[in-house]
Amino acid sequence: MSVAVEAASVVKVFGNIRALDGLDFSVRAGEIFGLIGPNGAGKTTALRIISTLLLPTSGNLRVFGLDVVQSAAEVRKIITYLPEEAGPYPNLSGWEYLEFMAKFSTKNKDELHGIVEEAAEICGLGERLKDKAKTYSKGMKRRLLVARALMTKPKLAVLDEPTSGLDVLHSYHVREIIKRYVRERGVTMLLSSHNMLEVEHLCERVALLNKGKIVAEGKPQQLKEKFGSANLEEVFAKVVGFA
Amino acid sequence: MLKGFGNFLLKELKELVRDPKILLGMIIVPLVMFPVLGAVMNFSMQSAQESAAKTVVLVLNHDAGENSTEFIAYLNSSVRALDVSRNVSTINGAISLLPAYNATEIIEIPANFSQSVTAKTGVYVKFYSVYSGAGILEGIGSSLVDTLVQQFNRNVAPDVVVPEKSVIIKGKVLEGVDPRVLSSLMLSQAIAMPITMLILLTYSMQIAATSVAMEKEEKTLETVLTLPMDRFSILMGKLSGSAIIAGVSAAAYMVGLNYYLGSFTGVTSAGGSLDLVSLGLVPSLFGYLLLGVSLFVTLLSALALAVIMSAFAENVRSAQSLVSYLYPLFFVPSFALMYLDINVLPFWLRIVLYAIPYTHPIIASKAVVMGDYLTVVLGIVYVAAFTLVIMYLASRLFATEKILTAKLKFRGLRKSAKAPAEDFQ
Repeated sequence: MSVAVEAASVVKVFGNIRALDGLDFSVRAGEIFGLIGPNGAGKTTALRIISTLLLPTSGNLRVFGLDVVQSAAEVRKIITYLPEEAGPYPNLSGWEYLEFMAKFSTKNKDELHGIVEEAAEICGLGERLKDKAKTYSKGMKRRLLVARALMTKPKLAVLDEPTSGLDVLHSYHVREIIKRYVRERGVTMLLSSHNMLEVEHLCERVALLNKGKIVAEGKPQQLKEKFGSANLEEVFAKVVGFA
Repeated sequence: MLKGFGNFLLKELKELVRDPKILLGMIIVPLVMFPVLGAVMNFSMQSAQESAAKTVVLVLNHDAGENSTEFIAYLNSSVRALDVSRNVSTINGAISLLPAYNATEIIEIPANFSQSVTAKTGVYVKFYSVYSGAGILEGIGSSLVDTLVQQFNRNVAPDVVVPEKSVIIKGKVLEGVDPRVLSSLMLSQAIAMPITMLILLTYSMQIAATSVAMEKEEKTLETVLTLPMDRFSILMGKLSGSAIIAGVSAAAYMVGLNYYLGSFTGVTSAGGSLDLVSLGLVPSLFGYLLLGVSLFVTLLSALALAVIMSAFAENVRSAQSLVSYLYPLFFVPSFALMYLDINVLPFWLRIVLYAIPYTHPIIASKAVVMGDYLTVVLGIVYVAAFTLVIMYLASRLFATEKILTAKLKFRGLRKSAKAPAEDFQ
């Protein structure tokens, strides 16, 4: 199985704060990988470096063999990124927003229509796609954005807190989209969450991040057995010495 | 008493006062700006008075008697009156001498002056004032001559010298046009144009800053920065969108201005009506075009600057506060040039005003009326160069992670690298 993401000794410094302090982890192609940790652990910084938004201070990070610094433009062709709590353009309709985003992937009208149709199916917003995005609820916006991130069939989808702030039903819907898309399309998913219970049910493998470092990595079941814990929350608490 | 009002008010004041951007934008900036404006106004009045004292009057004396010589000597007590009758004999000849003597007034004394003064019968003396569109205080030289004539009449005989007033615009005499009527007509233009430009500039900058800040706040900017597209395209798309709006605004401004200038009429001393169009005091089609270009490049530079400023803001509110720091750069030249001719200012102050790009459309609005196209073109070239520099800086900002991480730290206005870390971890 090929490697989708490979991080080696990645450091990111903001002023006198080390947001990432020698990050090492790898994501296999075709899996759902969870980067989990508390607020301020460095999850978003890691995802932003992978998505070519930030430059690492030192270390190497490759996406399907492409260096995120040297080959940033090439990396952008094969990934999509969903920022935490991002919104669509409020005065565009959902359909217009999807079309706007799809036009960066293709100029062919038929392909464009196919991509947007796919997104419409993924998000399940139906007729509401004709309405302006500012009229959508938070859950509807998130479904639209998740659909946008998946509609172009990227090799790697990077999702930052995809269900953050959503109610039970919308969270369920988004998780089902992610699982179905990986199963049917073989897309690699890298997502972050501070909701460890959710990630436990969604991700095939996880990395526990604390103070900019990976403190544990593996399958949720393996980690629970290794640390004799009932769930990943307990694993995390034991790893960082909280419990 | 409203229950909870005091507590809520206290919270509100703490929130507002502790936001350094609001403190700076809404309290410090006005505190600094108005004293600066006051100083500019004070300086305007002083320079106008000084220029009045330096008024040079060319006298075309057709009278050979003593009274005209006395009249010229009387004028000389307060202004510099030069008898040019030995050099030229016609008003057109005197007009040609104006630049050489840096004169702004011509007095033509008729051949029967001494005879009429001796007989204490009224004599018509022609007064010509040069109109150059310099500002509200431009007519001060003409007013001074008026005062001198009134004093002369009081000394000799009531209404012995009857002024017949005309103006000289672009080297041509417009008979029977009172400079004071003309000044009051031009007052509308001298105030309205800078004020309208102020509104246009502030409004456009707020739109551009809000647009970028919205992208940051909604994190749509983060999303598009990871798309397979040239980042310069994002900047150009943003600027072009704003520039199209600015272009439409500039065109609307020109149409509105044309209607506005055409709508003003005054009354001449002969009882006829006076309007700016018939006086040739409205821009030509080419003048409008140049003014439009000047306004457009200035708007573009203001928009690019607004985009850069808003890149340092975390949200819409702080973007709008940041942009407001630039307002003194619009307000000071606008108010100063309402009253002042830039050419009467000290060299260093002229350089300061010329260096501010937002001065140039205001100068252009006066220059196109007077047909001084070279000044307008030079202004356009300068502002265009400034705009290119700003756009280059903006493109550099968009090409790096600074577009996401840059923030202004208000402890000495230093750029901080600390704050972003809290967001990105």
